[in-house]
Amino acid sequence: MMKLKIRRRTRESDETIRTDNSLGLMFWAAVSFLTVLVFCAIFADVLPFKNPNQTFKGFNKNGPSGSFLLGNDGVGRDILSRVIYGAQTSLVIAVVGTSIALIIGGSIGLAAGYYRGKVDRLLTVMLNTTLIIPPLILFISLILFLDPEAERRMFILIFTFALLSIAPIGRVVRANTMTWSEREFVLAAQTIGARNGRVMFREILPNVAPSLISYSLIVMATLIIVEGAVAFLGLSVPSPTPTWGDMINKGRPHLDVAPHITLMPALSMFITVLSLNFIGDKLKKNLSRKPRFCDA
Amino acid sequence: MKFLKRNIGRIVPTALASVILFAWFARPPFSWTFGLLMLVGTFGALVTDARYAARRIFSLIPVLLIVSFVVFSLMSSLPGDPALTILGAGATAESIAELNQELGFDQPFFNRYGNWMGDVIVGDLGTSRILREDVADGISRSITPTLQLMAYSLILAVLIAVPAGMYSGYRNGTRQDRVISYTMLGFLAIPNFVLALVLVLFLAVGGITIFGIDIGFRWLPAARYVPIGAGWSDHLRHMLLPSFSLAMGQAAVFMRLLRSDMIGTLRLPFIDLARSKGLKTSEILFRHALRPSSFTLITVMGLSVGALIGGALITEYVFTLPGVGSYIFTGIFKRDFVAVQGAVLVISTLFVVVLTFSDLVYLALDPRLKHQSKAA
Repeated sequence: MMKLKIRRRTRESDETIRTDNSLGLMFWAAVSFLTVLVFCAIFADVLPFKNPNQTFKGFNKNGPSGSFLLGNDGVGRDILSRVIYGAQTSLVIAVVGTSIALIIGGSIGLAAGYYRGKVDRLLTVMLNTTLIIPPLILFISLILFLDPEAERRMFILIFTFALLSIAPIGRVVRANTMTWSEREFVLAAQTIGARNGRVMFREILPNVAPSLISYSLIVMATLIIVEGAVAFLGLSVPSPTPTWGDMINKGRPHLDVAPHITLMPALSMFITVLSLNFIGDKLKKNLSRKPRFCDA
Repeated sequence: MKFLKRNIGRIVPTALASVILFAWFARPPFSWTFGLLMLVGTFGALVTDARYAARRIFSLIPVLLIVSFVVFSLMSSLPGDPALTILGAGATAESIAELNQELGFDQPFFNRYGNWMGDVIVGDLGTSRILREDVADGISRSITPTLQLMAYSLILAVLIAVPAGMYSGYRNGTRQDRVISYTMLGFLAIPNFVLALVLVLFLAVGGITIFGIDIGFRWLPAARYVPIGAGWSDHLRHMLLPSFSLAMGQAAVFMRLLRSDMIGTLRLPFIDLARSKGLKTSEILFRHALRPSSFTLITVMGLSVGALIGGALITEYVFTLPGVGSYIFTGIFKRDFVAVQGAVLVISTLFVVVLTFSDLVYLALDPRLKHQSKAA
């Protein structure tokens, strides 16, 4: 007999969906894609990739083929190796930028949520000023202001991105800290005489960490997009170094005859960002739902 | 009328604040843009709490002062000598010094800021030496395509996100919900310039050929701006791709928010009550569930205007629209501080006003807040 499925959108059916804690195939696909990408990017010099800046005569605008898996760009360079070397740039900027923002924003947010008062107000002011001026315009002005001749563009990009990610990360940490610091175990720790630093880092931080990790993955994805946009406008790391945004921009004039020049870097950026978003989403759902030992 | 009489003490300051802000940009396209926004603000004041609205509008003034200061200090500390840019490489040291004196660049920082602010308050944003035109004129010429682009994108985003979010919130956990959610997660991951190029590829320049099969069309124009004056249908045809490429990212954000709020709302007892009264599902969703679910959405929509401005800059670059984004962009590259200052100030003002307006709408939609703010 056919199995009868009754699907009702009520509280009970929500609960059954909610208890489904498996990560799913898509999650592992995303993780493995990122692993392969990171591996290739780190060992790009050792692995048998072609020189990203070598031009192959007679292969201009060639589509994907056996020797050039993703085809050649407008001047005959190998797109695959340029995508891999471009991943180096994007990933370094995203990972380092997010980590700096995580350390600074995390501590400010922790302090703001725990002590309230002055630190709290400072964070709010910082957040509001960075919110009021449209972000991309702020990015461009800051980048050009700090580094007009593109001498240390990489460093400046990381610095700018970190600076502007501090406030959003700080806000997330602050909100989480505020809810956690009202719990009994925090009070208990304070009662035994634990110092504030210990309470913050040993009691509150481990509880804030799950949502912080998933949020920082999303920040990382955003930074990859922003770096792409900045590079698309020609303001990222200067020319011989491959970046995804720059490759997309360079492919624009050939869009009608050789769309793969644009599509390949665009696709790699898309899949990377999608994977990061997806992992962040799944982690947020799964980590925040796990019942904790002391909660019972 | 009774309301007007009773609240005259609140409405007068509100109107006064509107007039002050209006006078800032008392020139053609600004005056109607800001006049309209302020009228909307006053309307918001009337339907919500007039005193609260007046306070909000007055509190814009210090915020705008801070913004102007940040913008000015950022722009005036940009490297590069503006006089050298204007005169060209062959300029002598004396002529540079002379022009600097004429432009007022030899004065101390706070004097320059004071002079600039004094001009701005009467609606004079200065003259760009490099573009050889009045900055206010330049901005009012270029803000029209940008505002159109932003408005169309926001409308498109809402038209896509609200039905999608409501449907997948209602069908939470089903296959349809998963399809919609994953599609939107995908759109969240596509940067708008990539989406723009992909749309151009498939809908404008003829698409790709895989194994001899053509995938793609030549339906829409790839670039160029056509003003409304040249015909509505032509204008909309040219704006469709830019607006759509800018809208999808926002639509994804809106849809995800609405979905999660919808799921929360549909669990509340009043929905059970509505259902037990025998109301139709569509009626429950649109009349009862949409309003309480849209509070976060309204706030985020206000905030998303900031993202839209940044996105508009890139979209204008891709589709060669002569908007305020390309105005700022060329200004930054040519070290045209006066133009960039003016444009960023105008845009930030617009943004702040929109944020305030979205707060007022929020208040009008959720009367509970009004009582909280009165109690506090």
